[in-house]
Amino acid sequence: MKKLISRILVGIIILASSACTKTDNYDGPNASFQGNIVSSEGGNLPTSGGSTTIKLQQIGWTTPQTIPSKFDGTFQDTKLFKSAYKVVPTGGAFWPVYDTVTVNIDKGTKHDFVVTPYIVIKNFTTSLTGTTLTIKFDITAPVIAGLPTIKDVQPYVNTTRLVGTGASIRDFSDLNAVTINREFIDLTDAQKSITLTVPNLIPGRTFFVRAGVRLSDSFNSSNFSEIVQVDIPK
Amino acid sequence: MKSIHKFIIAISIGVGASLTSCQKLDILPTNIFTPDIIYDSEAGVKSFLATIYQNLPIEDFKYRPDQGFKTGGNDWENFYNSASVTGEEVGPFGGMDIGGGFGYWPYGDIRNVNTLIDELPKHAAKLSQSTVNALLGEAHFLRAYYYFGLAKRYGGVPIITVPQDPAAPLSELQVHRDKEQATWDFIGSELDLGYQMMPETSDAGRANRYAAAALKSRAMLYAACVARYGSVNFVEGPARAQGLVGIPADKATAYFQAAYDAAKLLDGHYSLYNANSDKVQNYVDLFLKSGSPENIFIKQYSVATHTAHSWDATMSPRYMTANALSRSYPTLDFVRLWGELPVTNGDGTPKRFDNRAQLMQGLEPRLLATVYFPGATLRGLMFDMQRGIYPSFSGTAAAEVAKPANSRSYILAGDTKTLYQGKQVIGFTGPWTGGDELTRTGFYVRKYVDYNKPQSAVDLNRSEQPWIDLRYGEILLNRAEAAMELGNTGDALTSVNLIRSRAGATPYASIDLNKVRNERRMELAFENQYYWDLKRWRTADVVLDRAHFKGLMPYYVFNENKYIFLAETELFNREYSFQKQFYYEGIPGGEIGKNPNLLPNNPNY
Repeated sequence: MKKLISRILVGIIILASSACTKTDNYDGPNASFQGNIVSSEGGNLPTSGGSTTIKLQQIGWTTPQTIPSKFDGTFQDTKLFKSAYKVVPTGGAFWPVYDTVTVNIDKGTKHDFVVTPYIVIKNFTTSLTGTTLTIKFDITAPVIAGLPTIKDVQPYVNTTRLVGTGASIRDFSDLNAVTINREFIDLTDAQKSITLTVPNLIPGRTFFVRAGVRLSDSFNSSNFSEIVQVDIPK
Repeated sequence: MKSIHKFIIAISIGVGASLTSCQKLDILPTNIFTPDIIYDSEAGVKSFLATIYQNLPIEDFKYRPDQGFKTGGNDWENFYNSASVTGEEVGPFGGMDIGGGFGYWPYGDIRNVNTLIDELPKHAAKLSQSTVNALLGEAHFLRAYYYFGLAKRYGGVPIITVPQDPAAPLSELQVHRDKEQATWDFIGSELDLGYQMMPETSDAGRANRYAAAALKSRAMLYAACVARYGSVNFVEGPARAQGLVGIPADKATAYFQAAYDAAKLLDGHYSLYNANSDKVQNYVDLFLKSGSPENIFIKQYSVATHTAHSWDATMSPRYMTANALSRSYPTLDFVRLWGELPVTNGDGTPKRFDNRAQLMQGLEPRLLATVYFPGATLRGLMFDMQRGIYPSFSGTAAAEVAKPANSRSYILAGDTKTLYQGKQVIGFTGPWTGGDELTRTGFYVRKYVDYNKPQSAVDLNRSEQPWIDLRYGEILLNRAEAAMELGNTGDALTSVNLIRSRAGATPYASIDLNKVRNERRMELAFENQYYWDLKRWRTADVVLDRAHFKGLMPYYVFNENKYIFLAETELFNREYSFQKQFYYEGIPGGEIGKNPNLLPNNPNY
């Protein structure tokens, strides 16, 4: 009996050691792709979570994948398979890009996309009176004809530098939105100068603040201002 | 001597075996059904139809919009419904969790119907030509039903009308998508065939010709709205450029006309349920009594066959049932469709009530039959909704609700046992923030709840009331909406007023599109229609744009011995946002993997 068991064990060891000897001869996902989403009006396009993404369609494969843009308009993915990809920026508040570019993605591949934003926020200033923050800015549009309706403007307030849609304190942000629901072309110059207020901020805290203009495009996406730090005195 | 015996045995075995062995094995298998067994008798066809009916995409009690159609014996979580993301209710979903669908792709079921349509004409001698025609009509209805389930999710899909041969070359099997318009036209023509070929009446649970007409009115209304509103509010993409999603706007009128004509075919054959002169009880019974003249097509359930549902055990709180829990609750926003509730005085202070049931006085019977209000009674127990106690209350309702929670003077509690000076702080049926098994809005669902069952019998998988998939009430509303869109206001007004007088509401003197749509929301609430209505009207991204919903919180004012009601955000204060891409679901990735010809996928997927 003991002999039988030891023979079976030997058999199992031989089978186990001979299995799994094939080595995977495919490359791992060791290619990377990074770059900037550049605004045609200068600088990187300020974005936010859940908006602008780079859509990659690997040639010879069916399902696309996406790289979300960071808040400063850069993007990076270091775990891609080396291949040719059709790439296009999408999902943000800029005029749709229809020409997909084909890029051979390998180690350290860099590429910048230039997009035309719907709305540009200029002269962005903030001022604090007590615990009430006043935000002022002007909006301009690089291209006016065919611009989607402007839905609303609002401040975004958060306790970290990551501030925007989906990353803001609702009571300070969404609840201080101002509805517009008008075409840009119908706005007077005075209406293009916007003032937002955020009352009842908490004394002694530091907040990060930006403003956004939301449009009724395919994504209900927003154009953003830069991010500023606001310290509320005790 | 022994060896001779052995020899003889060996020879006889050898001869015997060789004589019997080489016969051709050509007998019918006894363990599989051949086409003759199925199609030569009506009973055989019926057994095949049972599978096709069971898998129909009927959005019933058990349908989970994020998981699919359920036919198992323990699919009890009936509160995972589309009403609980659209603001009709708030429920277990944390937000708009159903926009992407669940990858519905019923080509296996469509193949069953295609096989049926292929085989039936070959068996006319045994079944008789008239039976074959009636069954073929039914099959066309069923095929249309499946394609409707696809078209409203994906737009254009491959139209496959014959059973594919698995041995055919891949290029034939990988069928391209048809245009959205062609898909809807196909559904319309299939339902026309169903209407022409089916008989006037049918067994309960099976379709007759009027079910085909009724479904056509629903389907053509969807297509018409895609044409009219989808051409204004859409997401750009290659699938749209190729017509795989979207219909030219100038086709809208023809589809509205088709919806109107189809609805009109039911004139005189069905009517609204009006058996009880008590308007509230009548509206409650409409969903529970069998043999209603309003029912056109129903789906049945049975404990014996393990298909029963759990509506009763999951719509009411545990306080009134024998097991389980509730989890989806009508919102105040929904209740306000009927107008503002009289809970506030002219000066803004909350109106004082001697008891909570007083709130129900003077409300429309249909509203009371759709929603359980505080103070209503079920199975001998009162809906005891009380959010907390105010030792005393002064000021206006609006000012009180606007205060931060920690500066309000109310007493709340974590359970029903807590007392304030001998008085229970929260009601047995909520509202309560400790979990979501008690109401978060101050209301419970009443529609379809079987009030006759004793409490001890209200358990999971024990509810058998049928789901009314097509009822005449909806057909009148389809007709009214189509008529309104076609500019025929007189017909729209007549249809809507039929609905309103049955509901116990004041008939309208004039009509507009908004009134027709709101009537639809009120009449068809919790019937899994509003989600699709929002989608076809292309208003979902506006209505559900960072939306938060409200409840009506009853409080006891201790020093006055009165009750007040405050309109506050529902207790979880969840947010619902519908992305524009959700007007169409993405073609499932696995299917694209099998058939790349399904590309381009829908915009933004």
